[in-house]
Amino acid sequence: MSIREVMAAEDGVETMPRHESMARLTFARFLEHRMAVASAVLLFVLVVLVAAAPLFAGALGLDPNDVDLLNRFAPPSADHPLGTDELGRDVLLRLLYGGRVSLIVGLVTALIAGLIGTVIGLFAGYFGGWLDALLMRITDSVIALPLLPLLIVMAAVDLGKLGLPPDLATSPETSLYRIVLIIALVGWTTVARLVRGATLSLREREYVLAAVSQGAGSLRIMFGHILPNAISPIIVATTLSVGTIILLESVLSFLGLGIQPPIASWGNMLNNAQELIYEAPALAFYPGVLIFLTVIAFNFLGDGLQDALDPKALRR
Amino acid sequence: MTRYLIRRGLESLAVLLVMSFAIYGLMGLMPGDPIDVMVQSDPNLTPADAARLKALYGLDRPIGERYLNWLGAALEGDLGYSRLNNRPVLEVLGPRLLNTILLMGLSLAVALAIAVPVGVLSALRPYSKTDYAINFGALAGISIPVFWLALMLIVVFSVQLGWLPAGGMQTIGSEGWLDRAKYLILPVLSLSLASVGGFTRFMRAAMMESMRQDYIRTARAKGVPERRVVYKHALRNAMIPVVTILALSFGTLFSGALITETMFSYLGMGKLIYDSIMGNDYNLALVSLLFATFLVLLSNLLADICYAWLDPRVTYR
Amino acid sequence: MTAPLIEAEGITKRFEASGGLLRRSGPTVYAVNGVSFSVAPGETLALIGESGCGKTTLARTVARLYPADGGRVRFKGEDVTQARGKALKPFRRAVQMVFQDPYGALDPRLTAGAIVAEPLVIHRVGNRRSRRDRVAEMMATVGLSAAQMTRYPHEFSGGQRQRLGIARAIALDPELIVADEPVSALDVSVQSQILNLMRDLARDRGLAYLFITHDLAVVNFIADRVAVMYLGEIVELSDRDALFADPRHPYTRTLMRAVPVPGHGKRARGAGPAGEVPSPTDIPAGCPFHPRCPRAEAVCSTEKPPLEPIAGQPQRRAACHFRDEAA
Repeated sequence: MSIREVMAAEDGVETMPRHESMARLTFARFLEHRMAVASAVLLFVLVVLVAAAPLFAGALGLDPNDVDLLNRFAPPSADHPLGTDELGRDVLLRLLYGGRVSLIVGLVTALIAGLIGTVIGLFAGYFGGWLDALLMRITDSVIALPLLPLLIVMAAVDLGKLGLPPDLATSPETSLYRIVLIIALVGWTTVARLVRGATLSLREREYVLAAVSQGAGSLRIMFGHILPNAISPIIVATTLSVGTIILLESVLSFLGLGIQPPIASWGNMLNNAQELIYEAPALAFYPGVLIFLTVIAFNFLGDGLQDALDPKALRR
Repeated sequence: MTRYLIRRGLESLAVLLVMSFAIYGLMGLMPGDPIDVMVQSDPNLTPADAARLKALYGLDRPIGERYLNWLGAALEGDLGYSRLNNRPVLEVLGPRLLNTILLMGLSLAVALAIAVPVGVLSALRPYSKTDYAINFGALAGISIPVFWLALMLIVVFSVQLGWLPAGGMQTIGSEGWLDRAKYLILPVLSLSLASVGGFTRFMRAAMMESMRQDYIRTARAKGVPERRVVYKHALRNAMIPVVTILALSFGTLFSGALITETMFSYLGMGKLIYDSIMGNDYNLALVSLLFATFLVLLSNLLADICYAWLDPRVTYR
Repeated sequence: MTAPLIEAEGITKRFEASGGLLRRSGPTVYAVNGVSFSVAPGETLALIGESGCGKTTLARTVARLYPADGGRVRFKGEDVTQARGKALKPFRRAVQMVFQDPYGALDPRLTAGAIVAEPLVIHRVGNRRSRRDRVAEMMATVGLSAAQMTRYPHEFSGGQRQRLGIARAIALDPELIVADEPVSALDVSVQSQILNLMRDLARDRGLAYLFITHDLAVVNFIADRVAVMYLGEIVELSDRDALFADPRHPYTRTLMRAVPVPGHGKRARGAGPAGEVPSPTDIPAGCPFHPRCPRAEAVCSTEKPPLEPIAGQPQRRAACHFRDEAA
């Protein structure tokens, strides 16, 4: 025993860096990406603002859905910092509450889509064979489809015909869940392909073979060993997909097929903008700018995360 | 190669078939069905009449049977009637398709005319100020909501400046290409701006990858002038993945076209799909959606063929 | 001779060489071609050969990591070649592996403690606390401290990582460890420590090893018996001392000439077998070694010599037409 301790002490001399420094290195690489840092700050501010929306509502003594027909298209004032819309509702409050909806829809949908994609990619990559062929054909087909027209059809489906009670089928809350569901249904493909690729390479690693040789089951290997090591590309792809999803939600809501009023979303605030473009161009301006800023921030954030988490990968 | 193409072709056909069933099924779930619409518009119809009509049109049959009936008729060339237009679906579709091809073709040309040189410039000076500026611009282009971009273009060029029409196809009573061109500028601008960012980023990546290859180093070592290295060797090889991505992005481009057409009241396929769905013209919606799917699948097939043709290293069995 | 712990009988493993991006398949590679051997309880069988000869594939096939394309694996007399799921559990528990790359074989996202505990978790041994104790015990056994349980693999040195791999392998008290070049990725100074550890473990715990290596010095140190592999087949199978004293296959002889082996008075004379190892996609007719063999005659290029006992030494086998000629 004593000899062994000496030996262990000997080869302990060349101890490697501790793991905290790995995380620090990743963080340092992220900080180097200035646009990503700026985006993270911007998104943080945005999240704080929309989270504080009720505080603003309280301070103004208004509700985002309060209609005030005597005060339509009011210019910015102390009562209405950004003015009012065509129904006399406060634009600032609607932007803040709409931001809640757009951000939550974006994040939740991205997470669900990421989850679907992860599971499909893991199974395809790990089991291979006919399952892989089938899943990848499905993935390729979904990628190949004209997504927006299909989303429009799915958004237009009368849920009453699927057996939902009429008042529930047309309620604004249902429109929220529906939009999350249908976008998630088509948005998982990127993650699925990435995870499959990572799984194909990871399943040949010796630590995976080691787990197999110990008798670990497929689920344990997939979720215990492969998934944790494939998490970087998943994080990057999911972050990038938030932007795409917010764009899709906004266009569907804009077309009147997404989030239904009175719930505000940045997309449906632009709903009437086209008809009102001569009267109140500013109404069309704010929501669009916010969508744009949020989406570009998520895209830069994804870029920065990619550089930080996977420095070997090609910088795009 | 031939066998590979046949296999891919059959696969695409299978996808189209599955999609036709899925879309057919979805159409059945659209709000209101044709008989209900009839009943509403004709007060003389009794519920008994409605039931009789449903039986007549086979609407009381199970979905699988109805679909097969529809498919049989469609394969014989009978794609049905458009309710909104009171004309056979195909007659409505034809001119719309041409308009969309015009819009997409022009936008693609504009987008590429910008993306290729800018992407190459970016790739030749990686991590320079120029590169960062280009990347910023490209990401901005990707992140901008197309419908909002269109809206802003209308605000600036139609409302404020009054230079260009806010929408439509041509001035009533006026003819000729010059007039049509005026109506095309804003839609083309908005659609090309929507796709130029992605192409630029892809062009940059492909060019950088190409510049890293051994034959580039060999060419340089042999003393081939840098201009020739870049434009003859590197760019040509970088175009292989770009051509592929072009064909693959047809679906995205079509989605963009739908928004653009809707925003500018441009009478193309995209607006047709949107209007037919919103107007409960499900026959038209079904066929035009399927047709769009067919076009997208075809472009994907073309991408594969191009790839095989351009890259001699790829072998097929 | 006691009943064998594990028996391989006519193991064959083929791979389809990848034919590039879009091709379905390329030529078939016979990585392992009809190999038979057995390992007795507590015995160390070294499997030696040049890189690419199929040692690793053979080991992984025998350990049921790869499905065999032909032949049988018997464990304590029971055929486990086709066993799956629950039927395979006892085998998985009794047969453990140690890998060549001590870093690659440890999941970088797990702590040392979790890595060593994993086989216990998989086989539902004990509860959380008893597993912790067991892990601490195992780490002490291989010369690591229990305090290192919370560290991640990259915080260990190469030698320490291999100790971790060994601790994981012995946690379930296995009967056989398949060790695939466990020291060849390590510094020379660390190699002997790991070899000592493994030999001590075999002695203290009655472990049997299927020990893969390309290093004759390692064979000499650890093996009871030796199987020499060439192009997917065993060409000589012998107990260690007899092999080193009197190698019968010309391939074994050239291997020994290439490497000085302490204690056996051999000195480096040549530089290993002349010529290149033929591609395993294109194995020569007759004796696979004949194109490189100094002893080859006409018969060698036409007739393949079977692996058969050497005259007067029934426990030794060689696959050579001239196996009965002493050097």
